[in-house]
Amino acid sequence: MDNLAIIITAILAGIATYTISVKLEKGAVFGSAIVVLLSGLFLPHFFEMGTTLAVMATTSSYAGMVAAKNVPNLKEMAAVGFIAGVLFILVEVPFAGVGGKLGTIAAISCLGWIGLKKALVMVLAKKETQQESTVSYMK
Amino acid sequence: MFDKKKATTFICAFLGTVITWYIQHEMGYSAIIANGIVGVLAGILLTAPLAGATYTASFVGMSGIAVLPSIGAAALAGAVVGIVIILTAEIYAGIGGKGGTTAAFSVQVSRFIMSIFG
Repeated sequence: MDNLAIIITAILAGIATYTISVKLEKGAVFGSAIVVLLSGLFLPHFFEMGTTLAVMATTSSYAGMVAAKNVPNLKEMAAVGFIAGVLFILVEVPFAGVGGKLGTIAAISCLGWIGLKKALVMVLAKKETQQESTVSYMK
Repeated sequence: MFDKKKATTFICAFLGTVITWYIQHEMGYSAIIANGIVGVLAGILLTAPLAGATYTASFVGMSGIAVLPSIGAAALAGAVVGIVIILTAEIYAGIGGKGGTTAAFSVQVSRFIMSIFG
């Protein structure tokens, strides 16, 4: 249940930052900072694990600062937020107290998603080439 | 020789770190709130590149008291992150989390410098 709350927070914070930054054109810094500030002010007061959720929202908001050319729509931003949430859960205990953890998780999430997309495009292009060569052979 | 743009970036980065550290450790707010306040003000008041530098530097100011034990240490870290931002402006631009990674590197460099001078 805790992990689900973390992942939902990660996706929502990433989408909120991306919307303010890219869709509303308020800039990446303002988009991230307003999400960070509001999550830091409100989440600890409304949820038992609010402090953890605020840290998660902060991490995901850093990932949400990604440029539109790298993550062009909200669906992809949700995927980046999901990756950030999973990484946050995985590294929370082993790397507790290590400075720069949040920004590094954000960077790995973005780079991971961009890499995954490139790999998918390559695999699909290879399949298409194979199908085309099979069709021409059959002819 | 004097590059006004780089000098302004350095000053913004320096202030971003020191102000965040001050809000967190002297005024008693959490690191997240300190970072949020500095980021919102930078986003409203500064141009996009300067706001980015200030926000990145603010991540450094989020460090705990064990890492940056005094405002002097925060000032040193602010100077280091300012230099790192100027030197790495074009690298990985547009990747979310670049600022945090830059900040993490700068904090480690600052800790190394502080360990040399005791």
